[in-house]
Amino acid sequence: MSKMIVVGMADYKVGRAPDKLMTAGLGSCIGICVYDPSTQIGGMAHIMLPSSLESLQGNPAKYADTCLAMMLEEMLKLGVMRSRLKAKMAGGSQMFSFGNKAPLLKIGERNAQAVEQELKKVGVPLLVYDVGGSFGRTITFDIQSGDLHVRTINHGEKVI
Amino acid sequence: MEISAIRLEAFKEIGNIGSGHAATSLSKLLQARIDMSVPKVWLVPLEKLNEALGEYDTVQVALYLKVEGDAPGKAIFVLPTESARVIAQKLLALPERPDIFEDEMAQSALQEVGNILVSSFVIALSKFSGVFLQPSVPAMAIDMVGAMIDGVLLEEGMIDDDVLIIDTKLSGVKEVEGKFFFIPNKGSLDKLLGVFGI
Repeated sequence: MSKMIVVGMADYKVGRAPDKLMTAGLGSCIGICVYDPSTQIGGMAHIMLPSSLESLQGNPAKYADTCLAMMLEEMLKLGVMRSRLKAKMAGGSQMFSFGNKAPLLKIGERNAQAVEQELKKVGVPLLVYDVGGSFGRTITFDIQSGDLHVRTINHGEKVI
Repeated sequence: MEISAIRLEAFKEIGNIGSGHAATSLSKLLQARIDMSVPKVWLVPLEKLNEALGEYDTVQVALYLKVEGDAPGKAIFVLPTESARVIAQKLLALPERPDIFEDEMAQSALQEVGNILVSSFVIALSKFSGVFLQPSVPAMAIDMVGAMIDGVLLEEGMIDDDVLIIDTKLSGVKEVEGKFFFIPNKGSLDKLLGVFGI
């Protein structure tokens, strides 16, 4: 039977088909899904910040680089082949704006760029993404089909 | 991060004073008796935040103000959409509850409520402690509560593994409920409590 594996903030989980992976309420955070279609093993990470190099402290699953590395290691142990891995991502929005003042850090945008770069570094192709805007996303990843379902409040639903 | 029981207790007291003032402001605005209590002061690890907030993807209204000054932090007032509709209806004396996703008047009224509520909390806190604090311009969002909280937490681009939260509960007017969170930045807690020698 298929079960739903819930991924918390600054957290990652790995599962096998027919299980699904889910993370709720992504704002400027990013949900990264990495999967191997042939072994049907997939992982999802809910990262908060672009890089551990800027402020390496505390939980390494907070950062794009360290979290992705940890998740890949676990997936490789389970028997995925690195060359067959594919990735999808969603999130990275800017939830609040203060009048005309541009936000100082645009953390959502930087998170998306960082994930893209990290995936390039480890050689995993990013097939598709749904990032940016000023709204939250809840995502569900079907390891079996490789479908990433993205739900929003007032900006529709889609499968990428 | 470790925090002693006495500090949590002191912080709860600070929360009570701040929310007392905020409740008075809101009572005046709505011309109805509003109570605010502080049920909990929590030090919450990030991955347990959903236990403090409830389901991450329920739709709520969030009013967010940055607190600047000598002990900076973030103050957020979160309320269910139905409560927000009731407040907006009362304030604007509308015959029906407005659609807060579409109605710009209602949104701006709510933003003002948030501003008054959060500002009076911060000003009370500042007066009581003698630490200079100043509320900034408010911002509002209506979205998944988890997404709004992560947007607030990450605005400065860094974050501790734990978040200290003063959780206040709003009550008094039927069908109106809300939660108020004050999240001090790193170091701010020491400044605020240092004043009292704790």
